[in-house]
Amino acid sequence: MRYRIRHSTCYVYTEPVSLCHNEVCLRPRNAARQKCHQIELDVSPPPDTMARRADYFGNQIEFFTVQERHKRLEVTCQSEVTVEPFAPPMASLTPPWEDVAETMRGNDACRHLEAVQFVYESTYVRYHEQLAQYALQSFPARRPVIEGALDLMHRIFKDFKYDTRATNVMTPIAEVFDLRRGVCQDFAHLMLGCLRSLGLPARYVSGYLQTTPVADQERLIGADASHAWVSVYCPSFGWVDFDPTNDTIPSDKHILVAWGRDYADVSPIKGVILGGGQHSLKVAVSVTPIN
Amino acid sequence: MLAPDGSLRPHWHTFVSKLDNLGQAELTRRWEQARQLIHENGVTYNVYGDPRGMDRPWDLDSLPLLISAEDWKALEPALIQRMHLLNALLKDLYGAQMLLRAGAFPAELVFANQGFLRPCHGIRPPKDLYLSLYSADLTRLPGGQWSVIADRTQAPSGAGYALENRIVLSRVLPEIFGTCQVHRLAHFFQKMRQSLAAMAPHNRDNPRIVLLTPGPYNETYFEHAYLARYLNYILVEGGDLTVRDQCVYLKTLGGLQRVDLILRRLDADYCDPLELRSESTLGVPGLVQAVRAGNVAVANALGSGVVETPAINCFLPQLCRTLLNEDLKLPSVPTFWCGQKSSLQHALANLDKMVIKPVFPMREFEPVFGARLTEAEREELSARVRARPHLYVAQEQVALASVPALDGGQMQPRQAVLRSYLLAHDGSYTVMPGGLTQIPSSSNNLIFSLQRGSGSKDTWVLSNAPVSNFSLLHQDGRAIELSRGGSDLPSRVADNLFWLGRYVERAECAVRLMRGVIARLSERSDAGEDHVLPELLRALRYLRAGQHALAWDPEPELSGGDVLKFVMDESRSSGGLYDTLRCVQDVARMVRDRLSNDTWRVLRGLDEEVAWPAAEDTVTASELLDILNRIVIALASFGGLASESMTRSQLWRFLDIGRRLERANNMTGLLRSALVRVAKDEPPVLEAVLEVSDSLMTYRRRYLSSLQPAPVLDLLIADETNPRSLAFQLVALDEHVTHLPKDRAYPSLSPEQRLTMALCANVRLLEIDALARDDQGVRERLDETAVRVEKDMVALNEMITRGYLSHVLPSRQLASYGRGAE
Repeated sequence: MRYRIRHSTCYVYTEPVSLCHNEVCLRPRNAARQKCHQIELDVSPPPDTMARRADYFGNQIEFFTVQERHKRLEVTCQSEVTVEPFAPPMASLTPPWEDVAETMRGNDACRHLEAVQFVYESTYVRYHEQLAQYALQSFPARRPVIEGALDLMHRIFKDFKYDTRATNVMTPIAEVFDLRRGVCQDFAHLMLGCLRSLGLPARYVSGYLQTTPVADQERLIGADASHAWVSVYCPSFGWVDFDPTNDTIPSDKHILVAWGRDYADVSPIKGVILGGGQHSLKVAVSVTPIN
Repeated sequence: MLAPDGSLRPHWHTFVSKLDNLGQAELTRRWEQARQLIHENGVTYNVYGDPRGMDRPWDLDSLPLLISAEDWKALEPALIQRMHLLNALLKDLYGAQMLLRAGAFPAELVFANQGFLRPCHGIRPPKDLYLSLYSADLTRLPGGQWSVIADRTQAPSGAGYALENRIVLSRVLPEIFGTCQVHRLAHFFQKMRQSLAAMAPHNRDNPRIVLLTPGPYNETYFEHAYLARYLNYILVEGGDLTVRDQCVYLKTLGGLQRVDLILRRLDADYCDPLELRSESTLGVPGLVQAVRAGNVAVANALGSGVVETPAINCFLPQLCRTLLNEDLKLPSVPTFWCGQKSSLQHALANLDKMVIKPVFPMREFEPVFGARLTEAEREELSARVRARPHLYVAQEQVALASVPALDGGQMQPRQAVLRSYLLAHDGSYTVMPGGLTQIPSSSNNLIFSLQRGSGSKDTWVLSNAPVSNFSLLHQDGRAIELSRGGSDLPSRVADNLFWLGRYVERAECAVRLMRGVIARLSERSDAGEDHVLPELLRALRYLRAGQHALAWDPEPELSGGDVLKFVMDESRSSGGLYDTLRCVQDVARMVRDRLSNDTWRVLRGLDEEVAWPAAEDTVTASELLDILNRIVIALASFGGLASESMTRSQLWRFLDIGRRLERANNMTGLLRSALVRVAKDEPPVLEAVLEVSDSLMTYRRRYLSSLQPAPVLDLLIADETNPRSLAFQLVALDEHVTHLPKDRAYPSLSPEQRLTMALCANVRLLEIDALARDDQGVRERLDETAVRVEKDMVALNEMITRGYLSHVLPSRQLASYGRGAE
C-alpha cells in the first residue's frame, strides 16, 4: 500500500515565547517492508537553526531552534510511504521463549546486540514483579516465543479497556496495570514491561494507522492520531510487530515512523521554551491511501 | 606508618621527630587555630538529610598521610595506565562498540546503565578526551599493595577539598611542611588550566571557561565555588547559560557572551532537559546539540559516567591487554559481577566475606556487608540478587592498612582510603601528587563516603629532592590578561546581589525600629500614655505589611510584656525580621563565590552568634536589646565592607542599588506611618524618628535641641549630604543607573535614567515647609510625596529587573503527545 501522510502540530501560547529548542521525530524511517518516497518538514516561524541526524536507533531526528518571539509554533510533516504486507512466522515453529531469553544473556548476547539493548528497563518501562507474574500465564515452559506473545497480546486486549481519560503521558505502567485502562501508549508500555520482565527483547514502535476506512471494515482504534505498538525479537526470524490496542499483528495498515525503548525515545515533538504563559496544543493526522 | 616489625617506616622519620619537637600542647593549640580557619573560610560539605542541614563543617585530621617517593613512583604510572584504559573504553562505547560486538565487555553494563547516554553516542570530544579528569579511590592492603576500590569518571569531586586541606595544614605545621620536601599541588591545577584551555574548540588563547554547578544545595558546592575562584573560572548554574545558534552563551549584564568550555560538576544526564533527563531544571536546553555541533566542549564528556561501576573491575585486566596491549598494573579489590554465572555462585557461596553493592547507583540499595546479616536476611538478599543478578556486584571485604589519626588528642589507627586525582595533559596524563585521604568517623565504621560523614586528611607525597614553592595563589605573569570589566557578570548573580542589598537593608531598618521600641520600654518610668510607642509599632508593622498598617492603631496602654510580644510576633510573621535574616543567608549562600571571606564571615556570624529567640517568653527586654545591638553591628560591618572593600564593579552596583531602593522605601514608610498623622505631643516622635534613621546626632549638632517638623523633614528628605535621607538614595540610584551597561535600543537616556533624573529633580524642588504643614492633624503633602516616591520605586525596580535581570526566567517543557489519545 502507498499512503500520503500529513501530520501537523500547533502550539498556541498566551504569552510570547522568546526562545524554543525542539527535537522532532516525525520522518517515517525506511525499513525492510517500508519505503519513504518523499518527505517535507515545515516549521513556522522559520527556525534560526535546524540540524538533522539519525539517532542511536537509526530514527530520523530534527533539532531546531526558534529565536524570534512568537506566540504560535506549527510543525507539519508530509510524506509518501509504501508499506509491504507482512508474512508472520509460523508461531508454533518459533524457538521456546526461555531459549530466546537465554540468548540475550551471557556469551551469545554479543551476536544479537540489536535486540539485547531492548531487554532492559527504560524510562517508562520499569521492572515490576506483578508484570512478570501476569506475563508468565502466557509463557508456560517451552512455549514458542511468538505463540506466547500472541497470547499475551490477546489477554491485554481482553483485560484492559481503552479509555482516553484514565491515564496521561506520565502514568507509570504499574498504575495502568492496576487501573486496567489506558491508551495505545499505555498498552504498548505494558506489553513491553511484561516481555522484558521475562528477559525477552521488545521495542516500542511509533507510527500511524490508515485513517480512511475501507468499505466493510471496522475502523481501528488509534486512527487520526499517532499510534504505538510493540515489536518482539525472534532469533533467526527477526522482529514481529504486535498491536495490543487492536489485538492484531500489524501489516500494511500500520505505517512505521520510529522505534526505541519506549515513548521517551520516539515522542514526536519535544521542546523546551522560555516564556509562553499557558499553551494549548492541536494535532491533526491524516493517512490517505493513494494508487 | 609502622612496618610489620613495629618499627617506624623510614619516610615518617623526619615528620615524627619534628612533630615531637612541637609537643602535644603546641599541636593542640595549633589545631584549634586550624579548626577556626576552616570554620571561618566556610569550608563545608552539605549532607542531604543531615539535621544540621546545610554546611556541615569540614572534618580535617591534623596528621597528614605520608607517601614515600618510592611508593609514589610505582603508583603514578599504574594510575595513568588506568585512566588511559578507561578513556579508551569510553571511546569504544561511544563509538564503534567493537568491544560489545566481540563480547569483550558485557552489553548489560552498557544497555542497562542509565549512565550510557544514547544521544551522546557518536559525539567525539576534542582530542578524543572523554575523561579530562579522573579519580580513583585507593586503599592499601596490609601487604602494602595499592588497589582500587572505586573509579570516579562522571565529575570527580574532592580535588578542591584536597587543596584546602593542604592550605590549612601548611599553615598549621609550616616548619614541618617546609622540611619534609612535600610535592606542591599547584602545578597540577596549573596544568588543569592549560589542558582545559587546549580543549576549547575555539578561541584557545583566551577561552571563556565556566564551571557548571548544580547550585548551593549540592553537597560539594563549597568546592565548586572554591575551585572556580582558584582556577579563575566563572561559576555558573544551568540557568546562567543559554543556547543560540547551536552555541552556548553566558547570560550577563552586558548581554550574551560565548562560552568555549564547560567544566561540569553536574551529572551528565541533568545537563540538557531537551535531549537527556527531561525533568532536570539544572541543565541547559540544547546543550547536547551545541556539543554535537562542535561549538562547545564539556569536561568530562557527557556520558563519561557509564564506566563508573564497580563491575568494571572484573573486566579491566582483559580490556587492558586488548586495548593497550599491556598488563594491568593496578589491581582492584577482588570484585564479582553477579551477571556472570560463575561470579554469582562464588559471591553467594562466600556471602559472609562480601560487600554487596548495586552495579549502578540505586537510591534504594545501600552497600550490604554479608558478614553482618542474619540467616534470614542473607536468604532474602540471595533471592534478590538471584532474581536480577546483573544489577549486583560483590566485593571482597578486604582488610585495609591503617594510618594514624588523632582522636581526642591520642594517635589511633584508622583505615583509610586515598582519593587520587588525574588529569589529561599534553597528550598524556598526570597525577596530582597528593589527594584526599578519607577516614571513617569512628573505628568500627567501614563505609567511606563523604556523604556518609567520613573525615579527611591531607596527603603528603614526599620527594627525595627539594621541591619548588610554586603556588597559583600568588601568581602573576599569566600569559594573557583578561580584559573584562563587569559586563560578564551573570544576570543571576546580579539578581542575587540586588536582593542581598535589599534584605540587608530591610533587616537593618527592622532592627533599628525594634531597638527604638525596646529601648523606650526600659526607659519609661511608668505605663502611662506614650505617644511615641504607637508610631514606632505602626512603622514596624508598615515595614512588613505595607499600606495596611497605616489604618492600624495599637492599644493605647500597652504593658512592657505586650510590647515585647508584639515585637516578637512581628519578627516571626511572614516577611518579618526572622524571615529577612534567613533570606540574607540564603541569598548570600548563592553568591558565596562573589563575597570576600571577610564578608562571608560577617554574614555567617550573623547566623551563628545571633540566635533569634523563639517567642517573647524566652527572652527579656534587655537580652533582646543586646541581640538587636549585635545585629546592628554585624549589618554595619557588612555595609562597611561593601563600601570599603568592594571594587566599584557591576557586582557592587547591584548590591548598592538593592540597598538604596530599599532604604528609600523604608524612609517613605517611616514618614508615612509616623509623621503624616501629627501626634499630640510631637517632639518625642520626631526625636524617635531621627533616632531610628540614625540622624539624631546630625540634627542636634545643627539645631541643638529644638525639635521641629520642618528641619527634621529637611534632614530626612532633602539633605543630599545625609546618607540616610531620601535625596541621598535617589542621587545614588541615579548615579548607578547611569553606569549600568547600555542597551543599544536607547542611544541617549534609558527609561530608568529618565526616571531617576526626574526623581532627583523632584526631591530638590520640594518645598519642605509645605510638607511640614499641619492641616487639621494630617500632613497631606507629605503623604502625597511619599506615595509618589513609593510608586516610582516600584517602577524602577521593574525596569531594572526587566532590563538586566529578566533572563533569570526558567525554561519549561512543552506538552508532549503522540500517545494515541488525542
